[in-house]
Amino acid sequence: MNRSIILTTVLPLFMLLTGCDWLLEPEPSQSVSEQVALSTDANVKSILNGAYSLFNEPGIYGGNILRNAELLAGNGELLWVNEETYYEPFEFFTKTISADNSEVFTQWRESYRVINTVNNVLSALDVVKKADRGWVEGEALFLRALIYFDLVRFFALPYEPGALNNQYGVPLILKPIREISDEVYTGRNTVEEVYNQIIKDLVAAADRLPDDNWIFATRGAANALLARVYLQKGDYDNARKAADAVISSGKYNLLPVYASIFNQYEPTKEDIFVAKISYPTEYNAMTVSFSTSSFGGNGFIEILDGHLNIYPKEDKRAELFYTGDGALRCGKWNNLYGCVNLIRLAEMFLIRAECNLRLGPPYVGAGPVDDYNAVHTRAGLPAAGSVSLDELILERRRELAFEGHRIHDIKRLKQNIGPWNYKNPKLVFPIPAREILNNPALQSQQNEGYR
Amino acid sequence: MKKIIAVFIILYGAVFMLLAQQKTVTGKVLSSEAGQPLAGAEVEVKGTGDVLVTGEDGSFSLNVQEGVVLVFRYAGMRSREITVGTSDIINVVLDKDYNGLENNIETGYGVLKKLELTGSISSIDGSVLRNIPVSAADVALQGKAAGLFVEQVNGKVAALTRIRIRGISSVYATSQPLFIVDGIPVTTESVNLSGAPVNPFTTINTEDIESVEILRDASSTAIYGARGANGVIIIKTKRGYSGDTRINLTLRTGFNEPSRLREFMNAEEYVTYMREAAKNGDLMYDRYYGYEPGTITFCRDEVENRLKTYSGWAAVLNNTGRFLRSEVSTDWQSLAFRKGRIWSADLSAQGGNDKLQYSAGSSVLINDGILVSNGIEKISARLRIDNKVSRRIDLGFSLRINRAAIDQVSSDNYLSSPLQLVAQAPVTPPRDADGELSTFPVTSYYNALLDAEYASKKITEYRSLTSGYINFNIIEGLTWKNELGFDLYGNKENARYGEKTMEGMDRSGYGFANHGQNQNITGRSLLLFNRKLSNISLNTLLGTEFQHTSVETMYTEGERFASDALKTIASAGIISGGSSTLSRYGFLAGFLRVNTNYDGKYLLSLSGRIEGSSRFGSNNKYGFFPGISAGWIMTGENFMQSVPFLSFLKIKAGYGLAGNAGFGNYWHLGLYDSGSYGDVPGLIPGQMANPDLKWESLSEINTGVEFGFLKDRISGEIDIYQRKATNILLGEEVPSTTGYLTRIQNSGAIQNKGLEFVLNTVNITGLFEWKTSLNFSLNKNKVLSLGKQNILDFGGESYMNVAMTGYPIGSFYGAEYAGVDYNNGDALWYINEKDANGNIINPDKTTSNFNSANFIILGNPNPDFMGAITNTLCYKGLELIFTFQGVAGNKIHLAGDRWMASNGVWFDNQLKSQLRSWKSKGDITDVPQARLLWDNGNQSRSSRYLSDGSYLKLREVSLSYDVPSVITNKLNIRKMQLFIQGRNLFTFSLYEGWDPEVSADFMVNNIFSGFDFYSAPQPRTIVFGITLGF
Repeated sequence: MNRSIILTTVLPLFMLLTGCDWLLEPEPSQSVSEQVALSTDANVKSILNGAYSLFNEPGIYGGNILRNAELLAGNGELLWVNEETYYEPFEFFTKTISADNSEVFTQWRESYRVINTVNNVLSALDVVKKADRGWVEGEALFLRALIYFDLVRFFALPYEPGALNNQYGVPLILKPIREISDEVYTGRNTVEEVYNQIIKDLVAAADRLPDDNWIFATRGAANALLARVYLQKGDYDNARKAADAVISSGKYNLLPVYASIFNQYEPTKEDIFVAKISYPTEYNAMTVSFSTSSFGGNGFIEILDGHLNIYPKEDKRAELFYTGDGALRCGKWNNLYGCVNLIRLAEMFLIRAECNLRLGPPYVGAGPVDDYNAVHTRAGLPAAGSVSLDELILERRRELAFEGHRIHDIKRLKQNIGPWNYKNPKLVFPIPAREILNNPALQSQQNEGYR
Repeated sequence: MKKIIAVFIILYGAVFMLLAQQKTVTGKVLSSEAGQPLAGAEVEVKGTGDVLVTGEDGSFSLNVQEGVVLVFRYAGMRSREITVGTSDIINVVLDKDYNGLENNIETGYGVLKKLELTGSISSIDGSVLRNIPVSAADVALQGKAAGLFVEQVNGKVAALTRIRIRGISSVYATSQPLFIVDGIPVTTESVNLSGAPVNPFTTINTEDIESVEILRDASSTAIYGARGANGVIIIKTKRGYSGDTRINLTLRTGFNEPSRLREFMNAEEYVTYMREAAKNGDLMYDRYYGYEPGTITFCRDEVENRLKTYSGWAAVLNNTGRFLRSEVSTDWQSLAFRKGRIWSADLSAQGGNDKLQYSAGSSVLINDGILVSNGIEKISARLRIDNKVSRRIDLGFSLRINRAAIDQVSSDNYLSSPLQLVAQAPVTPPRDADGELSTFPVTSYYNALLDAEYASKKITEYRSLTSGYINFNIIEGLTWKNELGFDLYGNKENARYGEKTMEGMDRSGYGFANHGQNQNITGRSLLLFNRKLSNISLNTLLGTEFQHTSVETMYTEGERFASDALKTIASAGIISGGSSTLSRYGFLAGFLRVNTNYDGKYLLSLSGRIEGSSRFGSNNKYGFFPGISAGWIMTGENFMQSVPFLSFLKIKAGYGLAGNAGFGNYWHLGLYDSGSYGDVPGLIPGQMANPDLKWESLSEINTGVEFGFLKDRISGEIDIYQRKATNILLGEEVPSTTGYLTRIQNSGAIQNKGLEFVLNTVNITGLFEWKTSLNFSLNKNKVLSLGKQNILDFGGESYMNVAMTGYPIGSFYGAEYAGVDYNNGDALWYINEKDANGNIINPDKTTSNFNSANFIILGNPNPDFMGAITNTLCYKGLELIFTFQGVAGNKIHLAGDRWMASNGVWFDNQLKSQLRSWKSKGDITDVPQARLLWDNGNQSRSSRYLSDGSYLKLREVSLSYDVPSVITNKLNIRKMQLFIQGRNLFTFSLYEGWDPEVSADFMVNNIFSGFDFYSAPQPRTIVFGITLGF
């Protein structure tokens, strides 16, 4: 009898005290808990893949980040035709962006989602096998730099070479966020700080990344992006060195046929970095906007003759333009499941040429004319004996048309878009209204023109 | 025992005892009715535990001292206390216990006499529920208790039931009470994928139920801790007894039909109306483009073309091929309905001896429902055995197996849901010249009858509810109870859509198989200690409990079937998809409760439960849920004895803190979901961790009074409560620089205040007996806080339910309809422009532009008042029971009326009410001018489509006749009863839709309720039956 009493009183106590992990801490099955996700080599590598799967979302590198750059630069070369139902991209086109423009918010949100994902990877490098740590870290840093570079270019006033650049950049989040704490409410860093971080990440990434890595980031990609960043900063010497590192690596070739670069399911030898689109669950958002219904697009972007006028008669690049659904279309984006070309070799030739031309000899790598001709003759045009800076810039505009470069070049080159000069606040995205609302640190940091 | 008595004598009364005179008291215990002697009545010497039993003639004799209190008890009678005075003879008359004060009421893990309750607990006898022909047990509770809201969301068989005790106290967590069947917390979530969600209570039979207790206030439900916040419904099933075996066979047969219909236009009205709408539509175009009136004929051409198309073979054309008329006028509404048959048989046996008692039974039910191709077939079996192994050990087990095969129909929002047929044009013949069902484009929308004929959504629900127990009676008054329960609820589905159906179209048929299973294991260990110490009776409970539940689903789908006759996925040309999921949760709790009763007058109950759950974050793994309540039986005081007519009066008050853990299993965890890039799988952060996440807390103050007059022939209770739910889970927005958009956290608050009233009267006794039982309740709900937000509005342009601070949850938020401009037939809304303080300025200002009308709160779907009155009349073997039940003060959004009462904006058939539409200048009407293709008042979020939801229903009628024993004896049977039962016989309501008891079944949650979207009305059910007892 006494034993019964002891049992009755002790058993409940025992159950309570032991806490019964199996009962109160069941692991989920359709998802993985944070602890598990960050605890093994394989899982951390999967998170890195997860970061890529967010990076190619349509709102960012799945295409719209390029489209937004083109629309923001749009003046006389293209037209956004659906101004009623899809009025938000139209706001980029008309430079009348509202602070609650959902396209702006999507770009912001999806960007930071990738950042948080790579920050998680970077925080868990110690569980990654030693032999693989380098490339895992390199890819994560590369993605972070890529995203911050676009964030700072879209959401901040342009980088002014030689100036302090203490204008607002974007919040630099470099650690994973796993809980709500005061750290979550971060304000904006300066443009200078953001650029410094991007360069730091890319230099480290270039050091750690492999040369060949299928659709994932490579040393070439890190150097190429670095070249682009330096160029945007006006640091021409570093830009040409980085571009030269890519060209001289021998990993990439200019394809003989310009048109064959685009609408490919796999990256070509010319591609340094792409966003791969998987059939049938994903789609190329550039194709959606640029191509006609027969290619699965909605044809909201029409190309105007004003653009075609920049090509010489024999330029094969002009042949890519076609008439579809009653308007002129850009043939670079006709495959709904084709890769989004983010960085390709021709750009490196153009960067090296421009920097060499600006700085003069001694040239890094080939001279400006050779690099210019490499791109120029591929388009079926006769080789030039000499090249001016204006010609180079124009060549860049033809070669990289509708690939998301235009607005950034305008800002870098201090050009105007119609009445808007390069540092007009209307050419800068607002910090999304929702972010201002939910983050006290951002409340006094809205961009000019949106306050 | 004697030793103990001796001890008490020494301790408490030594001096007095020595002085007192021992003497012999004799007497008789009699019933107040007809003065019959009561044999076997208990006579207890109070404070000693000494009990003796009266003889055949009700007499007793015992030796006591003067001044000692004797307690007289008899089953079904109120007990009485009498102090031994100078007289040696005590004759006691016991009154009938009309109010059931001596009945044992389940309080959760234990029982108390109704007399001793200090919380708010309603008790329903199982026999009451058996008179109600329904296919799910929970529906039968409708109107049976104050404070209990029960609504079957529509008239489909096995439709979901919304059950709310004292209002809604949550936004994203459940508001459904905790259901305990024979000690087991049972699964109440539906797991089916095909068609409308199925109510899991279809697998619990009303026939099995012995009693139902409803724990309403938090002081009572705190013993259920983190799951007590929404109230607790405790169902006990029948058990055996010691005595001759009784076998009962009940057979029923009857039918279902829709209880209310709506009136739609016939073919002639439709054609005229659409032509009128087209003419006005064209004039609108003319005005828009600045043309001469009559220039544009687009709408008129379109109408003629459509009428021709829609009439199919029945079109009569003129010599230029223009539509003249249709030869048919189809009443599509009637095609959605049918008269469904009901047939059921229930066989049960109960019996046993002192050692072994059993209860067994088996039931079959076929219920065809009122909608075409919607029906249920249930079969169940049950067995319960209780064994007294020895003086110290009891054990037993119970097994019940249920299977319900349901022919399900689509959710209300699907074109394939039968009632969406009403949208079809009445000129359309249901079948073509070959007898095949008409299809699009002859039908203006998908013909839902195709689903009835060429699709099957077979759901087989099963449930096995098994439990076992072993109890040790350690010493007198101390019992150790151990129970283990296993609830396996699942459903297997085979959905198959033929190639003519909407789902199967363009892919040569489609089908899926799904298996969802909810497996729930619970265990309890309870230590119960009951003692009477002098004037104090003590009732103590110490216990622990665990629950482990896993929910699994398996799914596979396929398409391209060679023939509609191929029924399973094995025959699919392409197996196009598949999935499986697993989700688990657990609870672990320890609890303590002490009930004391001092001197039969002063009652106190204290309880506390510590409960942990897998659903809580690591910083809040365990919660503490206390309850305290006290009562004072004032009629136990001498000074109250002289109050005339008053037979019972108790006042009570309680406070409790209960929790709601009815939310997602992993909401507190940081989670990674799966994704992929370049077909390489990856992990993506999907949810931010919230280690502070915990239960929603509900605190409640409850006060009440219970009364009885005229020897309890009039009895009742009044409860007043105020309950406040805090820490309500909401998705709070976070900066997206975190990588997330929202995080679920405990931040909102909702309040419910109310009053409950119960009155039971025994109006006439004797050969003709008439009893009345009335209950009603008032409840006011108010959202106090939604965290950082002020409003949660997910209605889009179709639905109006929102949660907004300061208003009842689910309030309708939309534009205020101002009627029709008599000059031009435009719909008008009040602008309701607000100043900086939120006050409406220019309240009379109207606009014909819907987008310029500001939204305001227009009403809410929660009734302010609900109540029921049941009358029971008996004469000899004849018994008539009828219940009226109703609600008042709620509104219903006729969300489907934007299509069927749209004054002809599109080609949906219109309700007859639309014939009132504005025709010419000066017309005063509430229906705007008919204008094809031009929105004119047909916007859904408008008070035009709100209707009063108050109703009074003749909910239940049961007439039965017990065949006299002279006949049954001849037939050699114990009992024969003939009966007729009806449900939803009449509905009195101003509601404009089908049935005011409605919440469209595709979106039933805390915010969305009380909106009608092609929702089937409740069935009117009539059954005839016979019960034979052997």
